[in-house]
Amino acid sequence: MSDDKSLSPFLEAVKSLNIDYEMAPIDQEYSTFTGVGAEPLDFKSYAKDIPCQEACPAKTRVPHYIQAIAEGDHDKAYLINQEDNVFSAVLGRVCSRPCEDGCRHNWTDINGPVHICHLKRGASDYKKNPPAPLPAWFEKTGKRVAVIGGGPSGLTAARELRRYGHDVTIFERDKVLGGMMVQGIPIFRLPRTEVEAEVKAIIDSGIDVKLNTSVDAPMMQQLIDEYDSVLVSVGTVHASNLKLPGLPDDGHAVSGLKFMYDYNMGTMEDGSMKGQSVIIIGGGFTAVDCARSCARAALRLVGEEGKVTMMYRRTAGQMAAKYDEIEEMGVENIEIETLMNPHSARVENGKLVGVTFQRNTLEDEIPQSGKPRVHSIPETEEEFPCDLLIVAIGQTRTLDILPEGVHQNPDDGHLTSHEKVFMAGDFNYGSLDVITAVQDGKDAAEKIDTSLMGRQRRKQHIAIEMTNVNGETGRVRDHDLQYPVSMPVLPLNQRDGTAEVELGHDLDGLQVHATRCYWCQNKFEIDHDKCIHCNWCIEVAPRDCINKVSRLFYDEDDFVETALETDLNDEATYIWIDSKECIRCGKCLRICPTSAITMRKTELCGCSTEEFEEKEKENQPYGAVPHFKY
Amino acid sequence: MQWNLDKRVVSEEEHTKDHGLVIDYDEVGRKGALGGGEKLITKWYGIYQSRHPGNHMARVVIPGGVVSSVQARRIAQVGEDYGQGKLCITTRQCIQFHWLKAPALADMLRDLAKDNLSCFHGCGDVTRNVVACPLAETCQYRRIDVLPYAKQTSRVLTESRDLDNLPRKFKINFSGCGAGCGQPFINCIGAIAVLRKTDSGDEETGFKVVIGGGMGWEAFIGQELFSFVPADKIVAVNRAIALLFRDHGDRRDRTQSRLKFIVHKKGIDFCRKVVLDFLEKENVDTSDLETVLVDDVGDAYPDRPLLEPNPVGTDGKATVRAMIPKGEMTHLQIRQLAALTEKYGDKRLQFTQRQNVEIHGVKPEKVAEVNEEIAKIGFETEGFFGIRDIVPCVGTTYCPKAVTETRVLYDLLMPVVSKTKYNEIWDKALINITGCPNSCSPYRIVDIGFRGMRIREKLGSVEAYEMRIGGEHNRLGKVIGEFKREDCPRVVEAILDTFLKERKDGETLAQCVQRLGVAKAEQPVAV
Repeated sequence: MSDDKSLSPFLEAVKSLNIDYEMAPIDQEYSTFTGVGAEPLDFKSYAKDIPCQEACPAKTRVPHYIQAIAEGDHDKAYLINQEDNVFSAVLGRVCSRPCEDGCRHNWTDINGPVHICHLKRGASDYKKNPPAPLPAWFEKTGKRVAVIGGGPSGLTAARELRRYGHDVTIFERDKVLGGMMVQGIPIFRLPRTEVEAEVKAIIDSGIDVKLNTSVDAPMMQQLIDEYDSVLVSVGTVHASNLKLPGLPDDGHAVSGLKFMYDYNMGTMEDGSMKGQSVIIIGGGFTAVDCARSCARAALRLVGEEGKVTMMYRRTAGQMAAKYDEIEEMGVENIEIETLMNPHSARVENGKLVGVTFQRNTLEDEIPQSGKPRVHSIPETEEEFPCDLLIVAIGQTRTLDILPEGVHQNPDDGHLTSHEKVFMAGDFNYGSLDVITAVQDGKDAAEKIDTSLMGRQRRKQHIAIEMTNVNGETGRVRDHDLQYPVSMPVLPLNQRDGTAEVELGHDLDGLQVHATRCYWCQNKFEIDHDKCIHCNWCIEVAPRDCINKVSRLFYDEDDFVETALETDLNDEATYIWIDSKECIRCGKCLRICPTSAITMRKTELCGCSTEEFEEKEKENQPYGAVPHFKY
Repeated sequence: MQWNLDKRVVSEEEHTKDHGLVIDYDEVGRKGALGGGEKLITKWYGIYQSRHPGNHMARVVIPGGVVSSVQARRIAQVGEDYGQGKLCITTRQCIQFHWLKAPALADMLRDLAKDNLSCFHGCGDVTRNVVACPLAETCQYRRIDVLPYAKQTSRVLTESRDLDNLPRKFKINFSGCGAGCGQPFINCIGAIAVLRKTDSGDEETGFKVVIGGGMGWEAFIGQELFSFVPADKIVAVNRAIALLFRDHGDRRDRTQSRLKFIVHKKGIDFCRKVVLDFLEKENVDTSDLETVLVDDVGDAYPDRPLLEPNPVGTDGKATVRAMIPKGEMTHLQIRQLAALTEKYGDKRLQFTQRQNVEIHGVKPEKVAEVNEEIAKIGFETEGFFGIRDIVPCVGTTYCPKAVTETRVLYDLLMPVVSKTKYNEIWDKALINITGCPNSCSPYRIVDIGFRGMRIREKLGSVEAYEMRIGGEHNRLGKVIGEFKREDCPRVVEAILDTFLKERKDGETLAQCVQRLGVAKAEQPVAV
C-alpha cells in the first residue's frame, strides 16, 4: 500500500477496506545487503557462490585475481595470491589444484575447468614488481617465536607471525630455506629462482634465520625456555620402508625422498646410471612430487638406453598425478604399470638385478570411501629387470624432536600438551601438499598469536559491495566457449633435466584463460518484494539457474539447503536464482523490468577486530539501496 | 573466435541484426517454424511469436488508423482464413491477428498486400506505426489536419533504409491540438499541432515537437524539443530525430536503449544540437525552428474532446463509434462495419487508441440509424472514452510477455463501473489494464491504471495488479497500492465512491486527485 499523502482521501478509502496480505518471508543469502557480514550464513553462501575458493585449502580469492589478470593488472593478481597462498609462483607450477575440481566451468561441460593454477603462474610471470614483503598488521609486540623448519608451513607461519608483530627466528636443518619445495620437487618443474624470490620476500620482512641448525630434543627444550612460543614444522622426513623378500635392508633400494634430494642438490653425476633399468614403486599422494618427478629425473640419468618404469598398485584414477601429467610421462617414455604389487626382489653378486611383481585385481564391491579395494592374484608373478629401485610409498613424521611428555592435542593438531609448543604443516597432519601446508602455517600463526596476546586479534568476514553496472561483469557469453590453449612445453629434445619444462602462457593465452572464468564473485539475487513473477529472467536464463520455486528449505543458519521447484505460476512462491547454477552472465538483471535483480560483489576479507566493528556500523539493511523508479 | 574484454560493444540482439534483416517466409513455411535469429528478425515484418507454441501474431501497420472499406474487408478475409476469425485492435491503431501458423505466414502477407496493407515494420527496432488522433481530419478543435503528415512521416521513415536498424523501437504520434487525444507525451516523438501569429500578423500552423516520452518500467513524459516547427518541415525533423536515436541509442542494453533514455541521460539540449546538425547535413533550413515559447492562438479546446458523442466535424459530417469490448472483433463484425461505412460513411474505418472503431463522414440525420445498425452487430455506441471504455492489453491470452490475464480483470470491473450510481461520472474517468510493465495499454496516463504482477502468498502466488490513480495524458499517475485481482473491484469501487463524494464542478478523477493532493503533487508539464 502506498504512503503517498497526496493521494488522500482516496488512500484512506482504500485503506478502510483493510486489505492486508500475508506473504512468505523473503530469503536472503547474506546477512546484510551491503557492508560486511560474518554470520555463519554469510560464509555458507560464499562457499556456495565461489566453489573454487571453497575448495582451496588456503581459501585463495581465485575469481578476484583472475579478473585482475583479465583486466591486465598482473601485479594486483599476484598480490592477492601472495596474501592468500604465500608462494604463488611455486603453487602456480606445482599445486595439486583442488580448486579446478571445484570450478563451476567443470560442471557446465564447456572444455573443462578454468586452468586456475596456470593463471596463478601467469600472474607471477607477468608481474612488473618483484615479490616484496607484505605490510605488518600490528605494531611490534616484543614477543619472540621460534619456528623450527623452513618449509612451506614454517615460512608461512613465520611471515604471518611477523605481520602480527612478533619477532620470529627460523631454524633450518638444511643449507637453504624452502623445505620440500627445494628438496622434493624437481628443478625442471620448479626453478629454484622462483622459490628463492618468494622466500626472500618473507625473510626481508625482518625474520631471523639460522641455517644448518638441526634441532634435537635438548635444543628444543632450550628454545622453549628462551622463546615465548615454539612452532614445530619439520615436516615428514622419514620415508616409509618397503620390506621385500630377497631385498637386503639397505643400499639396494633408495627412498624417493632421498633420490629427489640428491638430484635437486646436484650431487648425482650425469650419466652415472646410463643404460640402467629403474623401477619406481608408488603413485599415491605422498609420492605426487616424488614418484612422478623422480621418474622424470631418473630418465635423465639413465639416458635413452635405460628404462624407467613406474609401478602402482592401484589404478590410474587413484594416482595423485592428473591425467594430462600421466600422458606427458608417456611422451617422455616413462612406462606406467598400474595394478602391480611388489612381490620379491632378486640380488645377484650383491647387486639388485630384478624385482618380481604380482598383478592386482579390483574387487567388485566398492567400499563407502569410494576408493576401490585391490587384492593380488596368485601365480601372476613376473620379474622385471631392475638396477635401481626407488620406493616412494609414503613419508611419516618422527616425533622425537618433541620434549619428553609433550604430545599432540588430539582435538586441535596445532596445539600440544605444552602451552608454548605448536605444530604445523606435514608435521601436524602427515604428508600432504604445499597449499595445505600454507594454510596450516597460517592457522598455526593465528593460534600462536591468540595464545600470546590472549584474544583473537583478526577477524574474517565477507565484504559485500553493490555494483551499478547493469549486470555487466566485463565478460560476454562468448567468453565461455573459448578453447583453452594448452600450456606450451619445452620440446622433448631440449629437456635436459634442469630447464623448466612448462614454459608458461603468452599474454594472449593467459587472457583466454582469464576470461573463461565466470568471475563468480559477482552475486545475482532477486528481491522477492520487487519481483512481479513475469518470468522474463527465466526465459533469458542460459541454464537451469532461475526457477519458479514453491518452497525453500532452510538450515539452522537460514541458509537455503534445497528448493522445491515447480512449473506452475500459481504454485510459485518465489522466482529464485540458484547461485550454484548461475554463470554470472547478467542477462536476468538486464531483462528484469522491475529492477528486482541486483548484482553485488563479494570478497572474503580479513582485518583487525576493531576495524571490523567499525565497518559493521556502516552496514545497510537488506534492500535499502534505492532503485531507479518513477 | 577469441574475445578480449573490451570488445563488448553491443547486445546479442545487435549481433543477430548485423547478420541481416531479411526473411523468406516461403522458406519458413517449408521449414514449418521460425528458427534461431529469425525469431528476432521476423519482428521487422510485424510478426511475433505467440504465447501458444506454434502460433504467431501479425500486426498490420495502419498509419493514423485509417483503412478503406476494401482494406477492412481484406483484414476480415485474412482473419477468417488464417487467424481463426479473430482480430484485435491495438492501442496504437493497428490490427493484430493471432493464431497464425508458420506455413501460412507467406500467404497471409501476400493476401494483405493485395489491398496495399502491410505488416512491414509492425514490430522490430524501427519506426512503428505512426499514430494520429482519431478525429485528425475533421475535429473542430484541430489546428491542422495531421493525418497527411502522419502518413507522409510513416512513408518516408519506413522507406529510409538507413533507419532499418535502430537501437530499439521508435514511436511517433501526431495530435491535432494540445488536448492530447493522440497521447503525444508518451511517444518517442509527439507532434502537437499549434497555430501561431507571425510577426506580420498572419496565422501560421506548425507543430510543437516533444520527444523522449515513453511508458514501460521507467516511464517518462516527453520534453519539448522545438516549440514550433513549420508544418512542411515536420517530416524532415522526424527523420532527424530518428537519426539521433539511431546514432546515440544504447546498443549494449536493450532495456536502456529507447529514445527516452537518451533524452533523460544526455539532456534535451544535446538532442536538439544533434537534430539540428542532422537537419543541416540534409540541407534543411533550420532558421525557422523555434525553441522559445510560442502562443497557441487557436480555439480553446476541452480537456477531453473525444467525449463528445457523435461529434460533427468541420465538414458538417458526424462520427459514429462502435465500442469494441477488449478490442477484439470477429471477421464477420468487421465486414459488417465495412458494409456500414460503405452505406453511410466515407467508406473508411478508423481504429482508435482505445481499441474502438469509428465511422466518419456520416450525415448527422443518419447517425441514429447507423447507431442502430451497430447495435445489431453487437457493439455499444455510447460511453466511448468513458468509464466503461476499459482498455486491456491482450494479456496472457496471447502475449508471451504478459504476467496476468487482463481480460479477466476487465470482466470483473465491468459490473462495477456499470453501476447506476456511476452514471453521473461516466465520462470522468478512464481505466486501462496492462498485463506487464511494458504498458501496451498505457496505465500510467489514465485516471485508474492497473499493471499486472503476481503477489506471493504463504505458499504459491496469485495474479495481482499495481494500481495507479490520477494520470492524465501529460502526467503520470501515482501508485496507490498492489492488490490481488479479486480485490481490485472493491478497490475501484472505493475510489469511485470517494470521487463521487469529493468531486467539484465537472472535474475528472485525475483532476480531483490532483486538486486534493496539490500541495504535494508535482505540477503538470505545460502544454
